Amino acid sequence: MMDTFHESSTTLFNRHVQDWKTGGGHVVGYTCSYVPDEIFHAGGILPYRLRGIEAKEMNIGDAYFGPFICSLPKCLLQLAGEGKYHFLDGVIVTPGCDSMRRLDDCWQKAGEDRAEALPSFFFHYAVPHKTADYSIKWFIEETQRLKDAVEKHFSVTISEDQLHEAIAIYNEGRLFLSRLDALRCATDVAISGADALAVVLASTTIPRKAFNDLLKDLITELEAVKNPIRGRKRLMLVGSANDDVELVRLIEGDEAVVVADNLCFGARFYADLVEVEGDPIAALAKRYLFHNDCPRMFGDYKGRLNILQEKIERAAVDGVILQNIRFCDLHGSENGIFERDLEAAGIPCIRIEREYGPLVETGRIRMRIDAFLERLEK
Amino acid sequence: MRKELKEYPFDWMLWRTFAAATRMKAGSEKEYRHALNQLPYFRGILDTIYGIGEPGRLFIEMIAEYFEKIIHAREREQKTAITTFCFSPAVFYALDIVPITLELVTVAMGATYKRGTADFLDYCNEVGFTETSCSSQRGTLGAYLAGNGVTIDMVVCDSPGVCDTNVNAFAFASAYLDKPFFQLNMPPDLTGERSTEYHRADYRALIAFLEEQTGRKLDTGKLRGIMEEVSRQDLLMTELEELQLLVPNPLPVTFNLLIYAGRFLFAGMPQCTRLLESMLKIGRENAASNQSGLSGGKESLRGFFCYIDHYGQNFRLWELLDRMEISYHGNILSKMWSQDAHYVKVLDRREEGYAIDTTDLDTLIDSIADLNSRMPMIKSIRGPYDAPHMWLQDTLALAKLHKADFIVYNGTPGCRNTWGMVKPFARDTEKNGFPTLILYSDAFDMRVESWETTASRIEEFLKVRRLRT
Repeated sequence: MMDTFHESSTTLFNRHVQDWKTGGGHVVGYTCSYVPDEIFHAGGILPYRLRGIEAKEMNIGDAYFGPFICSLPKCLLQLAGEGKYHFLDGVIVTPGCDSMRRLDDCWQKAGEDRAEALPSFFFHYAVPHKTADYSIKWFIEETQRLKDAVEKHFSVTISEDQLHEAIAIYNEGRLFLSRLDALRCATDVAISGADALAVVLASTTIPRKAFNDLLKDLITELEAVKNPIRGRKRLMLVGSANDDVELVRLIEGDEAVVVADNLCFGARFYADLVEVEGDPIAALAKRYLFHNDCPRMFGDYKGRLNILQEKIERAAVDGVILQNIRFCDLHGSENGIFERDLEAAGIPCIRIEREYGPLVETGRIRMRIDAFLERLEK
Repeated sequence: MRKELKEYPFDWMLWRTFAAATRMKAGSEKEYRHALNQLPYFRGILDTIYGIGEPGRLFIEMIAEYFEKIIHAREREQKTAITTFCFSPAVFYALDIVPITLELVTVAMGATYKRGTADFLDYCNEVGFTETSCSSQRGTLGAYLAGNGVTIDMVVCDSPGVCDTNVNAFAFASAYLDKPFFQLNMPPDLTGERSTEYHRADYRALIAFLEEQTGRKLDTGKLRGIMEEVSRQDLLMTELEELQLLVPNPLPVTFNLLIYAGRFLFAGMPQCTRLLESMLKIGRENAASNQSGLSGGKESLRGFFCYIDHYGQNFRLWELLDRMEISYHGNILSKMWSQDAHYVKVLDRREEGYAIDTTDLDTLIDSIADLNSRMPMIKSIRGPYDAPHMWLQDTLALAKLHKADFIVYNGTPGCRNTWGMVKPFARDTEKNGFPTLILYSDAFDMRVESWETTASRIEEFLKVRRLRT
């Protein structure tokens, strides 16, 4: 069962995407968890969250981006330039952060040099940084603009009924993921953090109906589990985007288990449901703007701290790993205050700065985690 | 942080330093020269600024007054707000709030302290703020995080949607110091009904926030007076900009700095108006005699800085340009995009400019919202760099208008936004015929790259591109 999730979470052009393309389906990639999958699903398009895995070099990324930039968007550009995203029919870039925002410019510029790198549909989805009433209004209009653009480019019609159906399917998936979360943070841990991440990552590439069926079966299997994970330090992982299952596996090792997270490729991705009543575009805009506890929503530190504290208590976390990709100042800085406030509340924390990529710093991270686990034993 | 730095509040120290500097010219020239010897780290900039005559004196007085207002805000029952350079302070003055603009204070400290802001930069990292963040805010923020300055009442910025590292500094300050926070959030497009409506709604929310923090209502008459003064300043800046177009450029190299510093410190206030009038007087005199503003009297090249300047100790950038006979034609900081601005008219880009309508409170608020949304960086680095009204279009148009021979990008490693696109940007400016130099230095932290290295890179660039032998 887990093999399917792992295959989908560690391979860009995985079996499900291959099958989708073979069936003549379109795939649209997006960079950030603020993009509503439901729009694409309703239009018969597979939404696919872009990831930088499989990048082995950075020459193309470095040709367009400057040196002081997060390695995640550089990896995305590298993969696009190498043609590894050949299966994409469109891309949505958001101003999730400045590095990711500039992926828009750099990708389009790379397309001037390598036409095959640039999908024919390229859309900048302007997500506000606040949740004032006028920001909601803006975002509803922006979501409508996205829907209109998708309809026009892909010659599809996205009806209200189709949107409601998509919302129902995605809400069902979110509920399943929440059940998985509960199994993960229970006293008898039913699934490792690495496996849980693989499931969440798979949800960003597998058609959602098929994913829901797979996850339902997995949950049934896990609920009947006879060998829960016990006797390990219970960790929580917080901070920059992490789509690398191996990083969590490295953190867990033989002595720890990641029982909770607050990552955008994690719990933040599926928290909160979309309202099923009323205008579906407005409902999507509200859910996606309000749900996500990302520091890009400036000025809401206390809200995010409360979320962490609630999760720490619920999952009986022994220690928190606050990590950020180098040059991710939003998470990096907020981690600094989290550390201050959580430590003051008696919750041990460790801050780790890392590069995005296939475990480029294994030894250093392992050593720091080991030291942290030693601290937890005292 | 070094213990001795905590002996006196840093902002008080800066006030006393600049207050003392205002009296430097009160005595004889001999006394002045003797006094300079007592200021090993400050004398270069001081002598350079006093060297330009009355505008220099007004500039020093203006900075001293700025700090004086910060230091005495509490006893005058005024609230303080830490804010950013790309936020027009006019609204603060209208509500009797004392703005503390982090980047400006960083520059002042960098100009006067031997070690610049290094200790405070590092203090930010000690308390959890990332070392990769922008040094322009970090330099001053560190002092306030350490409790080594006046009490901060609120945090206000306008860079969400424009510059993450900028707003992140303010969000961090708000969370760390537990102070009220307000952000103006910029949409990716500058113009169009949707963006204009958003700018204005956001600005009204800002005013409501400021009123709540101060317990005062925005006074229409006071705001009107300030905006009328801003209009006057716009016209003065327009004339200065027009003079810059002449060959040779009659403005001294430092004038560009004075233009934007004046606006950032005292927009809508008479201090800024006096400075601009004084600069204009010199500019007009030089223009009337077809005299270059360079100290050697000869203009060999015309340079345009597409981003910001280099504020390393003693402001050696300006000395270098002057020595190399390079006339300086500004950067994005000195362009305010009033509809009165010469470049807005000549380039036929009125839609991008703001107009000031003082009819009633509503029109005043709309005007200041439009003005603020066109502040340097806020205007041109929000959307895709090559979108209409954005960085590339602005840079190419202004460089052509000013007959620039080359373009220089200088910023900070913390500038995620521009470093994310400066390579394609420079490729496009080169394609358009402008030799373009990308500097890797830090405008506010000399430890990243020494000034000597930066200077040699500029000289090498000019030599390799055969702009200068």
